[in-house]
Amino acid sequence: MSACFTLRFKMIHRVLRCAFQLPGPSVIRLQPMCVAVGEQNPPCGTLETTKEYMFVERLIPPTRVPVPPRHDGPAPSGWAPPSDVPPSLPYMVRRSRMHNIPVYTDISHGNRRTTVLRRVEGDIWALDGAVKELLKRLTGTDRSTQVNEVTMSIRIKGHYDKEIKEWLMQKGF
Amino acid sequence: MLRISVMACSRGVAKRFMSSMSGESSLPSNLRLPSNLVDPSRTKRPPPPADSSLPIIRTCDSSVPAHLSPLLTWVESLAAQQGDPVGLAQLHPDVFAVPSRLDILHQVEVWQRSYKRISYANTKVRSEVRGGGRKPWRQKGSGRARVGSIRSPLWRGGGVSHGPRGPTSYYYMLPMKVRVMGLKVALSSKLAQDYLYVVESLDLPTPDPQYILDLLRQRHWGQSLLIVDACDELPENLLQATANLKTVNIIPAIGLNVHSMLKHEAVVLTLAAVRFLESKLLWHDERYTPLYPFKMPYSDLP
Repeated sequence: MSACFTLRFKMIHRVLRCAFQLPGPSVIRLQPMCVAVGEQNPPCGTLETTKEYMFVERLIPPTRVPVPPRHDGPAPSGWAPPSDVPPSLPYMVRRSRMHNIPVYTDISHGNRRTTVLRRVEGDIWALDGAVKELLKRLTGTDRSTQVNEVTMSIRIKGHYDKEIKEWLMQKGF
Repeated sequence: MLRISVMACSRGVAKRFMSSMSGESSLPSNLRLPSNLVDPSRTKRPPPPADSSLPIIRTCDSSVPAHLSPLLTWVESLAAQQGDPVGLAQLHPDVFAVPSRLDILHQVEVWQRSYKRISYANTKVRSEVRGGGRKPWRQKGSGRARVGSIRSPLWRGGGVSHGPRGPTSYYYMLPMKVRVMGLKVALSSKLAQDYLYVVESLDLPTPDPQYILDLLRQRHWGQSLLIVDACDELPENLLQATANLKTVNIIPAIGLNVHSMLKHEAVVLTLAAVRFLESKLLWHDERYTPLYPFKMPYSDLP
């Protein structure tokens, strides 16, 4: 009983001490023990400075994804920026926030492979026709696709992400 | 019997004969429109044409994608009841012209209603109801059904077997990007349905609430108004006028939410509010996933 009382008192004391001694984030204050309570001017021996805070500020990370530097042609990884003039087609495929082409592969039930083409704007059925034509040319068979007009995305049966990414990049999206 | 039916038929025939003789339309009374009906499509101002002579007061701060162009709306003033627009403002298409996702709007509205909900309904189970410890009569031989306690759910006064149990919380959080998309869809829908108005400043000539109501009626803005501003101090006249009005409400721009936008028919944004909303809502399209919560400091939060 008395042990838990002393423990609680110690905790409260520590919390109060921390609360009243908490300094502001940008001020480094050195207070020697000889400072009297209620004295306004700090005696010599105290140094208030804020310019060292730049060492903290440069460590704080940014939130926005940076714009990629300009390349002449494709980058060594194969990445290419979208063309400055958007292609004059009835549809548009925007880049993702990391400036990549929004084509993703998906597997469900272990064997059901699909490719998802997201971020479509404009006439999605025209894009669907174009994608079907491309896959007919590449594979020789009709690949079934599903157009979702609410989320503006196309789901294609089979893994064709590399081919569709190349095709979209070559179109200038 | 035959006489009554003959009389009823002849009465109906006479009514139809009279209505065809008179010049009025033969619509039933519940389909006839009143003559003083106001048609909003004919009374509201159409969106500004491309070659309008008014100056563009506000251009978009963030860059607009190359395949889209900024939207133009009228900038009005609340100084006179029947005033002409003062200028034009550009609105970013990624905030004010997103495709209308009604499913996201529904999700965000339902979330807003239920995440704060705690239902306090509670019923007692058979073990919690007072009494019922003793077996009322013996298991066999009495001729009655076998019974273990007087508080079984089958009995009158017994416990509830599958009732509400204690305070239940309906708290859940939708992903941040879904909530942001909900705001964008709500703003785009209001603009597309001509219920969004941009105003230069909220200075009223009088603190009279009737002034705002007359302004609403004259300009055919709608039944209810939501005023959104992004500054620290609101003008005194406006605060006094809207203090006792139920249908006209004023909120700061950080308080903008889908439920309020759906509840009020018309939404009025100041230019400062438009700037604030665009910067906050567009940041979510180009941000990283958070390393630590956004409540803590980052170098370039909007």
